[in-house]
Amino acid sequence: MKIELISVIGLLLCLLIIGIEYILLYRLAELQDEHTAKTENIRRRLDIHVEGVLYAPTDSSRDAEITALTNEINGEYAVYEMAVQAIREHNGSSFSGDDAAKEALIERINAQVDPVAMYVKMLDEGDVYHKGYACRRLADLDAQEYRDKIKEYVSSKERDLAYNAAMALCEMGDVYEVAQYLLSIENDTLYSGRIVNEFFAKFTGDRGELAALIFEKCNKYMKCTVIKTIAIYKLDRFRPMYLEGAAGDDNQMKIACIKALAAFGYPEDEQLLQIAAGDKDWVNRSSAIRGLSLLKTQTALNTVKHALGDKEWWVRQTAAQAITRMDISPKDLEEILGGYDRFAADAMKNVLYKTVE
Amino acid sequence: MGFLNAVRSFIVVFNYFCMAFTLVLSFIYIIQLFVSLFRVHRNFDKTFSDDFLSYVDSDNLLPISLIIPAYNEQENIVQNIRSLMKLNYPQFEIIVVNDGSTDKTGELVVNAFNMHKIETSIRYQIPTQKIEAVYYSKKYPNLLYVQKANGGKSDALNAGINISKYPLFTCLDADSRIEKDALLRLSMEFIKDSRTVVAGGIVRIANGSKIVDGELKGFSMPKKLIERFQIVEYYRSFLMGRVFWSASNSLLIVSGAFGLFRKQTVIEVGGYKKNTIGEDMEIVVRIHRYMRKNRRKYKVKFNEFSVCWTQGPMSLNDIRSQRRRWQIGLMDTLISHAGMTFNPRYGFVGLVSMPYNWIFELFGALVETIGYVLLPFTLIMGELNMFFFVIYFLLSVSLGVILSEGSLVLEQYTHRAAMTAKQSISISVYAILENFGYRQLITLFRMEGIIKYRKLRKTWGKIKRKEFEQ
Repeated sequence: MKIELISVIGLLLCLLIIGIEYILLYRLAELQDEHTAKTENIRRRLDIHVEGVLYAPTDSSRDAEITALTNEINGEYAVYEMAVQAIREHNGSSFSGDDAAKEALIERINAQVDPVAMYVKMLDEGDVYHKGYACRRLADLDAQEYRDKIKEYVSSKERDLAYNAAMALCEMGDVYEVAQYLLSIENDTLYSGRIVNEFFAKFTGDRGELAALIFEKCNKYMKCTVIKTIAIYKLDRFRPMYLEGAAGDDNQMKIACIKALAAFGYPEDEQLLQIAAGDKDWVNRSSAIRGLSLLKTQTALNTVKHALGDKEWWVRQTAAQAITRMDISPKDLEEILGGYDRFAADAMKNVLYKTVE
Repeated sequence: MGFLNAVRSFIVVFNYFCMAFTLVLSFIYIIQLFVSLFRVHRNFDKTFSDDFLSYVDSDNLLPISLIIPAYNEQENIVQNIRSLMKLNYPQFEIIVVNDGSTDKTGELVVNAFNMHKIETSIRYQIPTQKIEAVYYSKKYPNLLYVQKANGGKSDALNAGINISKYPLFTCLDADSRIEKDALLRLSMEFIKDSRTVVAGGIVRIANGSKIVDGELKGFSMPKKLIERFQIVEYYRSFLMGRVFWSASNSLLIVSGAFGLFRKQTVIEVGGYKKNTIGEDMEIVVRIHRYMRKNRRKYKVKFNEFSVCWTQGPMSLNDIRSQRRRWQIGLMDTLISHAGMTFNPRYGFVGLVSMPYNWIFELFGALVETIGYVLLPFTLIMGELNMFFFVIYFLLSVSLGVILSEGSLVLEQYTHRAAMTAKQSISISVYAILENFGYRQLITLFRMEGIIKYRKLRKTWGKIKRKEFEQ
C-alpha cells in the first residue's frame, strides 16, 4: 500500500513539475516575443531618426534630429548602441565611407545622450557581468574621469570583472595598473599568455614603458611571453636584452629573443640569424629564416634556399614563403624548382602558384 | 511446471529490474537537467561581458581550416561553400575533399569557383588514400578543392587534415549550415582556455526553418510529425545531455556536423579511425583516452550558443537508417575503448561517462525492447498488476515530458530560440506525443542497430535530404 501511495504522489509531483514547466516555458517564450517585437519597433523608429540625422540639410536641422534621437534613446544603453551601430554601418548619405565624419557625428550625439552616465549607472548597479561590460564601454568613450572607479575592480575576485576592468584601463593607457594586473596573473600560465597578447594589442600608452615595468618584476615565463608579444612592435630599447637572451643557454628565452630580433631585420643581426638558422630547435630556425628574408642579401638568400630542404616541414614552408619576398633571380628559382630536393621544389611551387600572377 | 515457474520468476524479476532501471535513468536525467539549467543560465550571463565580436581583429584568434568531406553531394555542395565564405571569421580556409564521388560534385565545385590544378607539397602526417589532385583559385584564395580516391568519410577528413595549414580545424557536413558567428563563438572556447582540444556546437533541425547565408530568417513548423519530434529530441540531447557532460569534462561525442578540433592533438592520436561509422564519437573518446593516459591537461567543451543547422531525416526509413547507424557507431566506439570502462585511470570519463553510455545508451534499448516483448506474457500469466503498470507507464511518460519540457525551457533561456511563444507551446505538445509510438519506434531502430552490428558496422547508407530553403 505504501509503495502505491508513493507512486501516486510521485506521479502527482511529476504533473505539478510539468505544469510549472509549461508556465515557465510560456512566460519565457512570451518575453522573447515581446523582446523581439520591441526591438523591431525600436529599430524601425531608430532607422527614421538615424536617417534624419544623416540626411539633415543644415546643422540646425541636424541638431533637432539629434534631439529627437536622444528622446528615442531615452537613457537606454541598448538603444544607444543600436543607433551608433546603424550610423557606423550606414551607406548612402554624404557620410558614406567617411569614418571620421561619422565619428564626429557620434560625438555630437554623445554630447546630448550622455552615454557615460548610462554606463556609470550600470557600473554602480549592475551584476559582475554588467559591471565588466560598463568598464569596457567607458574606456571606449575615453571617460578618463572614471578611471579611479574602474581601478577598484581590477583586484576583484571575479576573474571576468578583473579582466574587463584591466582591459578598460589598458585602452585608457594606464601603464602602472595594467602592469600590476599582468604581474598578478603571471603564475597562471594557462591564462596569462593570451592576456598579455590582448593587452599589448589594445594598449594605447607607451608599450615600451609597460614592458619595462613588467620586466622589472616578472618571472621568466612572463618575460618570454612579453618578448614574443612585443616582437612586432620592434622596440629598440630592449635590443641588448634580446641579444643577451639569443646568445644564452636558456632555450625558451632564446626562442623569444630570436623571434624579437628577427622582426627587426637589421643587417647587424645577420650573423646571429645565420647561426640561429642552424639551431637544433626548429622554432628558432623558422624565426631566423623569417628575419633573414627581410635582409635580402646573397648570403641570406643562400641560407633561405638551404632551408627549403630542412627536415622540419614548417621550416621548409616558411622558407618557401620567405623566398618569394626576396629578390630571387630566375636562375636561382630554376635551380630550386628543378633541384634534387623534391619537397623543396613542391613547397616552392605551391607558394608560387598562390602568389605569382 | 518448473519451467513455467522459472519463466514467471524471470518475468517478475525483470519487471522490477525495468522499474529500477527507469527510475535510475530518470534520476540521472533530472540531475543533468538541473546542472544544464544552472550552466546555461551562467553561460548566458557571461556572454554579456565576453564581447566575442571584439576578437575579430585579435591575434589570439586562431585561424581555422574548414574541412568538408564530400561524397556525391552535388545538390548542396556549391551552395554550402558560398554560405561558408560569408562566415564572420577573420582567417579561415575551406578545404573540400571529394572522396571519389561518382556524381558531378567535383566538376560543379571546380567550375563554380574557377579553380585550377596546382602542384603542392602534402605533409602526410596521417596515412590516407592517395590525393590525386589539388585545385586552387586566385579569385577565392581561401578555398582548396582536393580530389582523392574513395576511402570513406574518415579518410577524407584525414586527407583534409594533412593538407590544412591552420592549427584548428572543423569538420562540417556538406548538407549542414553554420551560423555566421558560430565559428567565432566556438573558437572563444580555445581562447578562454588554452587546454581546450575539442569544442562542439549545438546542432539544430533546419526542417521548416529558412536559413539564408547562415542566418535564420524564419521558422515555421515542419509538415511531418517525425520532423517535429526530432526538434524536441535535438534540444533534449544537446541542451541537456551535452551541456551536462561538458561541465564534467567527460563529453564523449562532438557532432560530426560541427566540431572544432586542435589539429596537433588529432594528429597525435592518429587522426580519424577508418572503417567506422561513428568516427565523430570515436575520435573524441580516443582523445580522452590519449590525454588521460599521458596525464595531459585538456578540455572537451560544448558551446550552446554556436549553432549549426542540419536537415533531419524526413521519412521513417531514413530515420531508421540514421538511428541504426548512430547505435552501431556508439557500440563500435564502446567496444573499441572497452578498457576505459570502470577504469579509474580515466577519471570521470572511465568511471561515469563510459559506464553510463554502456548501460543506458547502448543496453537501454535492449532493456526497453525486452520490456515491450514481455508485456503480453506478463499479462497472460496474470503477473501484471494493472495499477502498478499504469502508474509506472504514466510515471515514465511524465519524467520524459519533464525532461523534454525542461530542454525547451533551456532553449528559450539561451535567448536564441527560433520559435515564437505560440510555436514553443505547440512544439511542446510533441514532447508528450513522442511517448506514444515514436519513442518506441526509435527504441526498435536502435535495437536493430545492436542486432545488425556485425553486418552493418562499415556501411554508411544515404539519407535523402532536400535543399535548404533560400
